[in-house]
Amino acid sequence: MIGDTTWDAGDLGCGELVLQLRFRIEQLEPGALLRLVAVDPGARADLPAWCRLTGHALVAADHPVYLIRRKEP
Amino acid sequence: MATKFCVNLTHSTDNTDRATVGFVLANAAVGSGKETLVFLSIEGVRLAQRGVAEGIHEEGFAPLRELMDSFAKGGGTIYVCSPCFKKRKLDEHSLVAGATIVGGAKLVEFLSDGSPCVTF
Repeated sequence: MIGDTTWDAGDLGCGELVLQLRFRIEQLEPGALLRLVAVDPGARADLPAWCRLTGHALVAADHPVYLIRRKEP
Repeated sequence: MATKFCVNLTHSTDNTDRATVGFVLANAAVGSGKETLVFLSIEGVRLAQRGVAEGIHEEGFAPLRELMDSFAKGGGTIYVCSPCFKKRKLDEHSLVAGATIVGGAKLVEFLSDGSPCVTF
């Protein structure tokens, strides 16, 4: 998967992962892609939930790699 | 779906695991776009004092000071239970940034539109 920006979150999980994810995706232009690497086992469930909550699009998920598109304003 | 989320945090140095996980969950809420409140009550009010969080670092988590800083950076709010604070004779002139001492009415107001609230 190829995204515009890559963030390797390492083993961050739970609130630490999604808050830092929010900060990072807010730096992107609407429609831009973020390629996220998150090895925490909770990421499998949390990242789809986070996308549903925030409205950002989970384009692809193949743990530990996730491709998320920033929502339009 | 509710747009708010509240964490009622009742521990600090007496149970650093609960104190840490409370802020981790609060960061999950603020990171997910919720208007998020941490209500420090009972022993949790000690975290409102500058310097207290600096000594708390649970294995497997970021230091509590970093978690609290991230929470504030994300726009989270900290309310401090006034009677709990007074009972412990803490210093209202040494509050961490963003903390406000309140009575119960402020918590009731925050929760009154159906906000969920979890307690640690």
